[in-house]
Amino acid sequence: MPIDQVHDLQKVYRSILDSMARPGKVTNLEAYKERMDYEIACYDTTLLITMTLLDGEVSFHVISENSQVVKDKIAAYTLAKHAPVEEADFIIVLKDAPDASIVEGMRAAKTGDLINPQHSSTWIMESSAPLSNQNQLKLTGPGIKKQKDLFTSFKPSIWQTRSETVQEYPLGIDLMLTDEKWQITCIPRTTNVSEQEVR
Amino acid sequence: MKHTTHFAFFDEGSKKEIRRTTLKAVAIPGYQVPFASREMPIARGWGTGGLQLTLSLIGKEDTLKVIDQGADESVNAVSIKKLVQQTTNVELTNHTEAASIIQSRHRIPEAQLSEEQILVLQVPTPEPLRKVEASEYATKRLHAEEEYSGAWLLLFEQIMKYGKTATGADHPVYVNGRYVMAPSPIPRFDNPKLHASKALTLLGAGREKKIYAVPPYTEVASLAFEDYPFSVESFAGHACHLCGTKDVFLDELVDEETGETYYQCNDTSYCIDRLNSEEPAEVGHYHA
Repeated sequence: MPIDQVHDLQKVYRSILDSMARPGKVTNLEAYKERMDYEIACYDTTLLITMTLLDGEVSFHVISENSQVVKDKIAAYTLAKHAPVEEADFIIVLKDAPDASIVEGMRAAKTGDLINPQHSSTWIMESSAPLSNQNQLKLTGPGIKKQKDLFTSFKPSIWQTRSETVQEYPLGIDLMLTDEKWQITCIPRTTNVSEQEVR
Repeated sequence: MKHTTHFAFFDEGSKKEIRRTTLKAVAIPGYQVPFASREMPIARGWGTGGLQLTLSLIGKEDTLKVIDQGADESVNAVSIKKLVQQTTNVELTNHTEAASIIQSRHRIPEAQLSEEQILVLQVPTPEPLRKVEASEYATKRLHAEEEYSGAWLLLFEQIMKYGKTATGADHPVYVNGRYVMAPSPIPRFDNPKLHASKALTLLGAGREKKIYAVPPYTEVASLAFEDYPFSVESFAGHACHLCGTKDVFLDELVDEETGETYYQCNDTSYCIDRLNSEEPAEVGHYHA
């Protein structure tokens, strides 16, 4: 049975919204495992998010070593248009993306302007290590009671660049992270991400 | 039940657009994100913003509560409930605790909301600076520059006129230390409930085509001066004539025969819950 475009995607949306409202909250979408029979070289959760949020009115960009196949499939499944990284509304970072391309992309991507800060890019990023609330990154900000720990595969240089893009709040980029264990979490621009000290 | 419309009334494209807007609103607390407000089967200005948010959120497993000025049974609340129920077949409730989505006009329920709930507020005028600046482009610029003299001036004028800040409803708040936001026409009594709330609060203005949000555990401070601190409506010395509660928002009513003033809980479901908890059940459950 394929994914139900109405009811399944509604639930996926609620999970994304919950994680966006509570940054660092890791949600599991394994319930859709059996229904995801799409042949595509990205995590199923990445595809689920694109199916939930993308349509013909928005554009996307894929950062990967081999982006062409995924690019064509996402365009076919969602009808969204492919665009250069500077113009894309959604930027999809696959797990094989080189760090340098991610950093370069973040520096070039839309962060909105002061009159329309919503004209910014949303990043859907694949973490090659499973997401968890083990300590690596310390998250604070709106939506987080005191602080939240988060573990991802992204290098400090990427978090450093992300912090630079959100420095001039309300400008910035919002992140949605996915992994191969069917988990997702979000980090909006309001979240302060810092590295935990190594003990 | 026979469905004659698509689930939750909207086509999926409309839901996607509202959902994308809502996510941006959550990422920029207090900032009014423009969206393509749809034509609804109720008139603009009658809760279409809240209704569109509710329809974009709702799923088969949700339980919906809709209140209008604290009442579950008033016309606006009942009409919205019927529309959502007829297009989704979801369960409806009057109990605040039992609801997963609470759409409200002009009140935040008295019972504390939980992390699993979403509060949707209907907003007539989302722009807190509209009284001082008619141009939308100009107010957007003022927000961009964090130039809120107009909002402070409105409060100052109230103090000059009445000796205190006298906003009847919709007292502006500072969200996350950046945006001044209209909390929708809730009484000042409800403003503190927005601060560090456990539930996500979404605000929708259908006529003005804006969606904005207050994420949970977010700093929300009511605008006030050091020498004129923020204060909520006081009901000192009064209690609900039905349930006897003192620390809630009370409606002032007049007995038309005697001319006497009396007070009653504004939140009807809270009042009924309290009355029910005090009364012993007349008919118990029958166990075979």
